[in-house]
Amino acid sequence: MIKVSNLYHSYSKDEHYAVKDVSFEVKEGEIFGFLGPSGAGKSTTQNIMTGLLQLQKGTVTVAGYDVKTISNKMFNQIGMSFEESNVYSKLSAKENLEFYRKLFDVETREPMELLRMVGLHDKADIRAGEFSKGMKHRLTFARSMINNPTLWFLDEPTTGLDPAIASEIKGIIREQNKKGVTIFLTTHNMYIADELCDRVAFIVDGEILLIDSPRNLKLQYGDKLVEVEYIKDGEIVKESFSTIQKDDLAKLQEVIGTYEIQTMHTKEATLEEIFIKVTGRELV
Amino acid sequence: MLKKSWIIFMRDFKVNLRDFLALYLLLIPLIFALGINLLAPSINDTTINLGMIAGENSDQAAYFSQYAKVEVFSNQEDLDARIMRRDDFFGIVAEGGEYYVLKQGNENEGVVDYAKVLLTFYEQDVQLEETNAEIFDLGRTVPPMKKLLVNGGILFISVLGGMMITFNIVEEKVDRTIRAILLTPISRRGFIVGKSMMGVFLTLYGTIAMILITGFGNVNLLQLLTVVLLASIISILVGFIQGVRNDDVINAAANLKLLFLPLVGAIAGAELLSDKWQILLYWIPFYWAYKGNDAVLTQTATWPQIGLYAGIILAISVAVYFLLAPEIKEGLE
Ligand SMILES: Nc1ncnc2c1ncn2[C@@H]1O[C@H](COP(=O)(O)OP(=O)(O)OP(=O)(O)O)[C@@H](O)[C@H]1O
Ligand SMILES: [Mg+2]
Repeated sequence: MIKVSNLYHSYSKDEHYAVKDVSFEVKEGEIFGFLGPSGAGKSTTQNIMTGLLQLQKGTVTVAGYDVKTISNKMFNQIGMSFEESNVYSKLSAKENLEFYRKLFDVETREPMELLRMVGLHDKADIRAGEFSKGMKHRLTFARSMINNPTLWFLDEPTTGLDPAIASEIKGIIREQNKKGVTIFLTTHNMYIADELCDRVAFIVDGEILLIDSPRNLKLQYGDKLVEVEYIKDGEIVKESFSTIQKDDLAKLQEVIGTYEIQTMHTKEATLEEIFIKVTGRELV
Repeated sequence: MLKKSWIIFMRDFKVNLRDFLALYLLLIPLIFALGINLLAPSINDTTINLGMIAGENSDQAAYFSQYAKVEVFSNQEDLDARIMRRDDFFGIVAEGGEYYVLKQGNENEGVVDYAKVLLTFYEQDVQLEETNAEIFDLGRTVPPMKKLLVNGGILFISVLGGMMITFNIVEEKVDRTIRAILLTPISRRGFIVGKSMMGVFLTLYGTIAMILITGFGNVNLLQLLTVVLLASIISILVGFIQGVRNDDVINAAANLKLLFLPLVGAIAGAELLSDKWQILLYWIPFYWAYKGNDAVLTQTATWPQIGLYAGIILAISVAVYFLLAPEIKEGLE
């Protein structure tokens, strides 16, 4: 569904690459997570795939279309839910969708049906300008489904939503995926990635460090993580250490030898912890 | 492509009808036209101005005053001075027992004919009852002030069209909706065409409303629209560029006022500058549009003349397009 090979991009058109030698493939029907801290190059990569940014170097194929010579028809097949909601303030929720659907050449979904899915059906005639941030985000999300996309780009689909709504959104994503929709999900949120993604890519400083399924990552790193609570300068400190990384192991031995240990047990690593271990970076 | 551009335009239109400022801009052509009607005498009351020298022939003066506004001057110098002013003013002067029409040379052909005909009629002693039809047929003159206001008003409306475009682009920028549009099958060009339509619409509707309300409904509409629509290209381009450069409506409107300077300058210059200085205005498309409209409004325009003006306006607009297009395209990414 997506094939990216040796992608480079420089905003300043010089050697300062925002994205360096990125290659990956997304298979049909897959939920692919693109994970990385702020400034990692996630949006840059995504914008090149959707044609919002000009392809500079590398090859990118999206839904069977070569992005180099992008065809407007490609957009009939893809949907995009933006991280920052972007709807017309002066149109009602329903009018926003009615307008947008007319721009496609393929069969589109009923605006009211979509609004019901995201819980905005009783706000259909209210202008989006009067919506809260979360409501605008849901409208943006609903709009991205209007053309029944076979490839669906989701940029932080649950950020800023309250947990109940976030879980409904996750439900919709799963449901669409079951119907065969391929999903490219960009996020900082390791919990959603863990819950939803078949495979994840870790991207840091414009480079992909690893691509694997959350399950494989946990098999590889899980159980090999030790969580220790110890007393240091009269305060309880909580820390996790890998038992396979050499410097972590040394630190663990040092802690055991130096401080009074309160509790210590092995645990399954979360995707977030694995990310930190692999990349040496926090996911903020 | 046009179908999708039309969808973009209809959305703009819907939103503009909801916005106080935009709605006001949409009503301006009507307000303007009604204002001109109040200020300037009706087109049908029109007449021409004749000057005579006192004591020469009061009988003749009385005859002319049935059909024209007659002013009497005490001597030849005063009359000459009056004729040399820029408007259409003729002296009826006696020389060797014959009267002839004394003119400056820049008067409108139709008006000159009218003055000559009046003179002939007097000599033939034609009376109003017999000549009704001919005199009113030839009397195509319009009050110059009214013509100026209608002409300037039409060009002003095209600038308002550009202003509407600016507002509608700023709206998309503030709502960040352009990227959402770019991810639909509409082409960038289709989007730009759709966004331009409001400017074309305002110009079309404003021009037609203006001439109908002010009594110029019988002019050659095709000629008028040829000139006006071509002149609106500049307004549309500037409307786009201001939309791209500004993130709020008030700043954008302030910058758009800059367009009024060449507009007002072109009109004032065309009216007031003597022929040898007119060349200074040749670069302003509004100047050619003003001249074209003027010819159309007096019903003296020929197609070759309109074609020439239209060609010049188009050439200037194309140059401006190539100057601004890269920034507009980039700004809409
Ligand atoms: N328009 C731009 N012009 C110049 N540099 C940019 C531009 N957009 C992004 N960058 C730079 O490119 C790098 C990658 O940015 P990008 O937006 O792709 O990160 P991201 O992973 O999407 O981050 P976030 O999680 O904050 O959205 C950053 O160093 C950023 O500063
Ligand atoms: Mg981003």
